[in-house]
Amino acid sequence: MNLRIGILGYMQEGKISAPQLRGTSKRRQSADERLLLSLAEHLKLPLLQITQSAELARLTNRPLEQLESIELTAENALKLLDNYLFTTQLAQQQIAAELEPVSLSAVLHDVADDLHKLAAQYHCNLQLHLSGRYEPIMAHRRGLEAALTSLGYVFIEAQGSVETAHKPVVKLAAHRGKKGVVAGMFADAEGLSSDMYQKAHQLYGRARQPLTGLTASNGAGIFIAESILSAMSARLRVARHQKLNGLAATFMPSYQLSIV
Amino acid sequence: MAKILLLEPDALLAKNTLGALKKSGHKISWQSGAQPAISAIDKQIPDLIIMELQLTGHSGVEFLYELQSYPEWQTIPVIIYSHIPNAGEPAKHWQQLGVVAYYYKPHTKLKELADSIDHILMTA
Repeated sequence: MNLRIGILGYMQEGKISAPQLRGTSKRRQSADERLLLSLAEHLKLPLLQITQSAELARLTNRPLEQLESIELTAENALKLLDNYLFTTQLAQQQIAAELEPVSLSAVLHDVADDLHKLAAQYHCNLQLHLSGRYEPIMAHRRGLEAALTSLGYVFIEAQGSVETAHKPVVKLAAHRGKKGVVAGMFADAEGLSSDMYQKAHQLYGRARQPLTGLTASNGAGIFIAESILSAMSARLRVARHQKLNGLAATFMPSYQLSIV
Repeated sequence: MAKILLLEPDALLAKNTLGALKKSGHKISWQSGAQPAISAIDKQIPDLIIMELQLTGHSGVEFLYELQSYPEWQTIPVIIYSHIPNAGEPAKHWQQLGVVAYYYKPHTKLKELADSIDHILMTA
């Protein structure tokens, strides 16, 4: 609602024209539709996994072996939906991404706990790496957790399907950068290049697999993470951490607490 | 006992499919990408390939064309077991690529897949 008032204000002042406004809303609608399409495609995967696991339990008469897998897959699908809902609420300004000082290490520990079981399911080696101690960063805690968890799903699913001689490593990490604290997901088996990331944006919504070199799933988590981070004025970008490639965002440290 | 190669990028779906197909007594190996699958076929030619179209790195169609480029591999029957519905591609197009059946995952039970494998291997 605030956005509408803001745009109307700009229109009255002649800073934005009606055709420009139509273009903006068309682009936003198109982005929403693409995200919805992507999510619908993405949800096929956990639902298929659940259906197949249930059928296998029936075929092999071993329901207990499949039960844990079904439960975990359902939990992950629910989290993905929850994160999507959160993104949509942010986009529609039903909730505000108000920034506050957040302990990055606490968030990363919580996200690592969340992703631990999924990584085990995909035989990935999930590591948490914090290079040093950090002052609190300016972020929206729930948003940051949702963004990093969504990214984590994509990386774990992708690395779990890559053929490697060793157990693939997926690292949830943070380090100090020139402009603040960099936090994100990194992996060793498949490199991400800026080109590929750009290509993903172009293909987003047109194919189930926008990151062709990265994942066989559709990577909806990347776009969910990107939407949440951009609502917090942070930008998801290709980054490196200790010879690993990945996607990360830079956060400004909160100096308020340092002064206190 | 037939040798079957499963080409499936998702580890959990592959585990489920392997579990269901092993019950029917076949020898099944799994590859997650097109390139490792080509290397595996080079080492041991399977009697049948079951594959997803959407793969990591290369597309499934690229894999099928690669398969058709080697005369000794042209006769391997291929079953497409994909989450992508067959969008009206003519049957002739798939036949030219060695595809004998196309199954849409959400509409195909593992049991149906296993039964169709037995049928295809018998008629091949």
